[in-house]
This record gives sequence, C-alpha cells and structure tokens, in this order.
Amino acid sequence: MADIKEDVVLDARNLLCPMPVVKAGKQIRSLTDGQILKILATDRGSIADFPAWADDTGNELLEWHEEDGTFVFYVRKVEEED
Amino acid sequence: MKPGEVQDAVANGAVVLDMRPPKPFAKEHVPGAVNFQFNRADLAERAEMSLPHDLTYLIHAEPDPIAKVAMGILSKAGFHVEGYLEGGLKQWKAEGLPTEAMPLLTVDELKDALDRYRVVDTRESFEFRFGHIPGSTCLEWTEPWAAMEAIESDKPLALVCGDQVRSAYVASVMQRAKMDAALVFGGMVDWLERGYPVEKSPKKTKAPSP
Amino acid sequence: MIMKQFRFEPLAQASYLIGCPRAKEAVIIDPIDDMGAESYVLEAADLGLTITGVFETHIHADYISCARELAEMNDVPHYLHESAADLVKYGFTSFTDGQVFEIGGVRITTIHTPGHTPEHTSFVITDSARSNEPWCVLTGDALFVGDVGRPDLLLGDQALDVMDEATRAETLYRSVKDKLFALPDHVEVYPCHYGGSTCGGVNMSGKAASTIAFEKRFNLAMRKETPAEFAAFVKETAKPFPDDYARIKSYNLGLISKDQITEAAV
Repeated sequence: MADIKEDVVLDARNLLCPMPVVKAGKQIRSLTDGQILKILATDRGSIADFPAWADDTGNELLEWHEEDGTFVFYVRKVEEED
Repeated sequence: MKPGEVQDAVANGAVVLDMRPPKPFAKEHVPGAVNFQFNRADLAERAEMSLPHDLTYLIHAEPDPIAKVAMGILSKAGFHVEGYLEGGLKQWKAEGLPTEAMPLLTVDELKDALDRYRVVDTRESFEFRFGHIPGSTCLEWTEPWAAMEAIESDKPLALVCGDQVRSAYVASVMQRAKMDAALVFGGMVDWLERGYPVEKSPKKTKAPSP
Repeated sequence: MIMKQFRFEPLAQASYLIGCPRAKEAVIIDPIDDMGAESYVLEAADLGLTITGVFETHIHADYISCARELAEMNDVPHYLHESAADLVKYGFTSFTDGQVFEIGGVRITTIHTPGHTPEHTSFVITDSARSNEPWCVLTGDALFVGDVGRPDLLLGDQALDVMDEATRAETLYRSVKDKLFALPDHVEVYPCHYGGSTCGGVNMSGKAASTIAFEKRFNLAMRKETPAEFAAFVKETAKPFPDDYARIKSYNLGLISKDQITEAAV
C-alpha cells in the first residue's frame, strides 16, 4: 500500500449510512483541485457507497482499506470543468 | 408509555418507530413498526432526510435511556413524538401483545432465488447507476412513503441498500402498508464481495450531484 | 479493540468500556452510579456497541455502584467472583478464577486477587487482533498506580468481612506480588482509583495508567520484602476512611436500599 499524504481528514466514524458519503460530499467542496481527502468510516455500507460517489462526482477514489473495524478511503478532488 | 397506551395510539394512526438495529427488528417487532436505527450523532439529519413530518411517532428503542434521548432529538428536530414504549419489546410481550417478523435473506439466498423476487434498491440513484443487482429497480430511501405506491409486483419484494440500514427502513414501511417485503441482510457490499453480477446504468448527462 | 476509561473526578474513580468493533459488543467494568447507568448505555451506543455484560472487580465501599441497574436495564449478566455469593443479598452471575470471556476478538481473563476485599478480581485484557499476549490488566483496588488498595475497610461483621485486617494485608501482598507481578512487564495497569481517592494511600498517583514493569520497580508498598513490612507501610501511609463507607458498602452488598445510605445513622 503506497503512502498517501492526505490534505484533509474527515472523521465519519460511528455515522450510519449514508452519512459518511453525505459528509464527504460537503467536505470536498472546501478542497482545491488535486487535494486529497482521507475519510474514516465504520459503516460497512461505505464500501459500496464511496466508489459510486467518486464515480458520480468525478473525484478519484485512490484506494481504500480496513484497519481494525474502521474503513479508510483516500479521495482526490477533481475539479469539474465547465 | 405502557404497551396498552401504545396500542391505542397506533389505533389512532400513530407510527411506532423501532430504533433497534435491523437484525433484532426483523426477528420480531411491534406490528406495523417502522425500523429507523438509532445513532445519536446523525439521527436528526437522517430523520430530516426521510421521515414524514406529518405523522405522529412513538419510539421503541432499547434500553429506555436510548428511547428518551431519541425522543429528545426527534422532538427538537420538529417531529411530533408522543412518547416511548417503556420496557421495550419485553414489556410488550409480557402483556401478551402480538409481534410480527420480517423475512430476512442473505445475498446467497437471493442469488439462488433471484427470479422469484422483485429486487428494489433503496440507495441514491447515482449509487444504483454505478452498479445494481440485475433486474432491480431504484426506490430512494428518502421517498418510500409516497413512491412505494407506484410499485406493483406479483412477486415478493426484496429490499437492498449498501448494507441493510436504509433497506430495513424501506422494507418496514412497505410491510406496514401490507406489502410482501423481505430484507436482504448484507446488501450490495456482500453482493459485490461475492463477485455476483452487477448491471450498470448509463450516467445521466446533467450537472453532477451536490 | 475499543477501550474507554471513564473518570469520575470527584471520587477519583475510573470505570471502563471494553469492546470489539467487529462484533459490535462491549462490556462495562465497575460502573459508578454518580455517572449513571444511562451514560454508559449512551457511550456504548455512540460507539455502535451493544452492552453484553457488566463486570465488577469487587464490591465497592467508597462509591455507589450502578452495576445492578446497568445489567438489568440491558438484560445482561452482572458478573462478580463466585466468592461474592456468600456476601451479597442479590442474584448475580459468578465467574471463577482464570475464567475467560470473549467479546468478539477481545479476551478477558479473570485473576482472583483478594486482599483489599475477599472477592476482589483483576481482569487481564487480550486483543487477539494484535497479539495473543496480554495487553492490559484492570486491577480494581488491588494495585494502584504508585500504591495499593487498603486492607482496613471492614464492616465489623465477621461473616461479611471474612478476613481481618492483618490477613487482608498479607493476602493483598501475595495477590499483587505472585499474581499481578507475574504478568509480562509490558502489560498496562488500569486501576479503579487514582490521585485523591481514599481507597489507597498517600502515594497514589494522579495518573490513571501504568505498567507492570514500572509498578514492580517504583511502587513503594510493593518494594517491601515481607508481608509484615508491607502491612506496616500501608498502615502508615493510609488516608482517612472514605465517607460513609459502611453504608455505601451495605448498599452495594444489597443489604440496604439506596435511600438508606443517606439516612441518619441509627
């Protein structure tokens, strides 16, 4: 697993689905193009939610893994082109 | 509220909100109860997203302190909550009152019997588009009360979401409306983990979701 | 593993939540009524965990326990060492010395460490997700950070006291030296009291965590070489008795009701 250096961390642990994705959607607005958002979640549904969310919003899901019950997602912001 | 009082309130149109996790809910619950899992940190937000404001609610959560906190949160969020079932299901059953169950399916069981069910995916439409069970339709979990009327099926319904929290909510709303609904425990996460087939839908060419 | 230490500062008391995030289960150890059973329920709920058991290291004399309420509220067992059956007037679920409880991937192993009280038990915690070696020990009132439990909180009733002060002191010395100090050096020590509590002596640290190795080296009471020297030292360094300890203990034993704790002594 490559070392990814995140710019912002969103702690969405102990939130029920779909809140981790909802919060990530709000949080990523404050990032600039190319910045990386690290999301921590305990809700198992996140595993399916985040890839879909990344695909829908055009942001890039770099990788995700599980650490002792917590799911860690790294998403790179991709600015929408008008 | 005592079980008898809850029963009376239900007869007058109040809705029992069963805030336990989906598994114990499916095992048995107060007939007609709607499953909406308690989680202090985001209860208000999730309720705001999907619970109708024009209903009267009675809380069933265990143990009692959780019910009290839930009442406080939902009342503060502007929902009309009449009270909570003191002593939970234990007290309800102690008074000889009936319970009902909700059929549970694992993804393996669903896969084996896919043609016997109409699968309804309760996730957001963008999640559904990204990958869903072949033949399933989307009914976003924020809209069940009104949208379910449009669902016609000669087959029993099988509800899925990411895991089972949102689908349990929708399944219970449907069961309450006397629809034949089963809950798929483990949802799309389990389905994908098994490598079962998924269908994708074309992406909509419109402005991205907020 | 999830481990939370709750500190109730006015009585310098520590209670614990030990749980497994995968199994979504947790147990509570030494819950205190001043915090209220509801607060433990909500703490567990906030962590997405269901309480599956309530343990006590011993029957407390310095604070009102809410273990019975918490267990009943959640419809789960209230665990005490089997020897408590001769002492308490209510039903509970007993465990034996060396019994193992599993909470998902977390293992709790009991070690009977009498002395402060006859039924006193410490709990060794192992997190199988990390290692099969013990990681922490919850030492109740047997071993404190920098100090040891006091052997003189007697009720004056032979049947309830079981051991006299001198026997308690010697038993406590052996419990700590032979049982707790036999654990690996790296094992972390988490006590039921710290700092200003009157359950131990003047050397009790305000820090509510330590290690077996550090206590072996620097715990002044345990550096004594004989039980007699240990007993003398503990007596010299004792603090005033906890307020109302006889009545609080009587309530925790199930002998009196909660209202009777604060009633004027007959």
